[in-house]
Amino acid sequence: MDPKKILIAVDASENAKRAAAYVARVVGATPGFRVILLTLERPPERDLFKDDDSHRQACEARERGMLAAQDEIKHILTQGGVPAASIDAHYVASCKSPMAEGAEKCGLGQSIALEILGYAKEQGCGTVVVGRRGVSKAEEFLFGSVSSKIVHSAKNCTVWVIS
Amino acid sequence: MRQSARDILRRYDKAFPLKHAGEIYTDTTDIVRIDYGDVIELGGLNYLVLRDEIERRFGVEDVKYWVKRCRCLETKQSKILKLVFHETFPQKFGDAEILCYRSEQKEARILDLVRGDRRFMQGFAVKDAAGNLVRVLDVIRGKRLDLTVEDIEADHKTYFHEHLPDLLRNWAGACRAIASLHARGEKHGDIRRDHLWIDYASGDYIWIDFDYTYDAVENPYGLDILGLGNSLVFLAGKGDLIAGAIAETFGERVLAGLCPEDFSLFFHNRLVNLRKVFPYIPESLNNVLMHFAAASDVFYESIDELLGELMPAVEDIKRA
Repeated sequence: MDPKKILIAVDASENAKRAAAYVARVVGATPGFRVILLTLERPPERDLFKDDDSHRQACEARERGMLAAQDEIKHILTQGGVPAASIDAHYVASCKSPMAEGAEKCGLGQSIALEILGYAKEQGCGTVVVGRRGVSKAEEFLFGSVSSKIVHSAKNCTVWVIS
Repeated sequence: MRQSARDILRRYDKAFPLKHAGEIYTDTTDIVRIDYGDVIELGGLNYLVLRDEIERRFGVEDVKYWVKRCRCLETKQSKILKLVFHETFPQKFGDAEILCYRSEQKEARILDLVRGDRRFMQGFAVKDAAGNLVRVLDVIRGKRLDLTVEDIEADHKTYFHEHLPDLLRNWAGACRAIASLHARGEKHGDIRRDHLWIDYASGDYIWIDFDYTYDAVENPYGLDILGLGNSLVFLAGKGDLIAGAIAETFGERVLAGLCPEDFSLFFHNRLVNLRKVFPYIPESLNNVLMHFAAASDVFYESIDELLGELMPAVEDIKRA
């Protein structure tokens, strides 16, 4: 696992932007670093929608939003001095989503945190960066905390939690 | 010529007073209109509507217009027909808010999944003429678990030592039923102590009402686990111990010894640290309860984790 290969878990949140800005400040244009932006699709539940078409439309809209957020984060990194050639953006659709049709790989959606760590391991990333939402205890109970779970579950890598 | 409701009732239910015969419905969209004496034609069978189901909670009656108590005219069996009713609403749990919604397709899917599993209500789903997915459910002849507990005539100490261990073993079986849903990527969605019934004849613990669902990606089963935790605290306390009533029941001194961290993380007036009022509760059991208290920083992520600590604690009750 290469500590200079940094995986940033990104979504459309302000936390993800903060995480990227921090990485840009630390890494900047220093040679030898590679940054992987990982976005895991979190599709809305199919049961929320009347039919497959409206579900697909909602998934497409969400995907567009996530990909736009990924572009914004790339921009934050390049503005911070990280060379564009050092940045790879990966988007993994959820197996439960119509967007996964035909994809080589899809996310099982059981635990975002474990999927992030699994992806980091696959890519040989020795550093994982995640933004922290700052949830209340009640929110953590009900919704879970990706950053907390990453901290608890990470092995053989370094985790930066940006809050 | 199309039959009328009167014709159908005259043929299948001679005892029914024809003056109350209503309409035949093949389209169940207008749920409020469908009422006593109407006949719902569904899947080749005719269901006489007897009444709307009523939910009784916390002393309040809530009419569920989309849930009809019926009798199948051909088979004479009592059935419950759940019509389509879409509800989406944010629900607050403490300072957390979660989007909940009612989904007939989810309930239909789970009915298929649990067919033949006596731990769940049984039924099937069939579309009416307008495409509404109606669930036809078997009636459970039994009693709600919470009413069963409340009706046990014993003081808490007697209840705790003589009744609770067996109750908890059976309840654990009901928890494993929910775990079996989770293992298949499904959630119950509305775990409450009045959604668990005990069948009179078999003693089976049976879950009902799984049409609610919610969005919580990182911890998809958190709300189910919260529901189980609330039920567990209820069972251990032989009812909810509410802050306002504690002084009256246990005295001001006991109330003064309690702090906010002793109460539920989500329902701030419900006591969870029961050992403070019932000192004979083993620490092992109280520890399980405290996972649902405001004091807790550690939460169960799965039913297996909860049962892994609860079952040894049940054995400690016997030894107390």
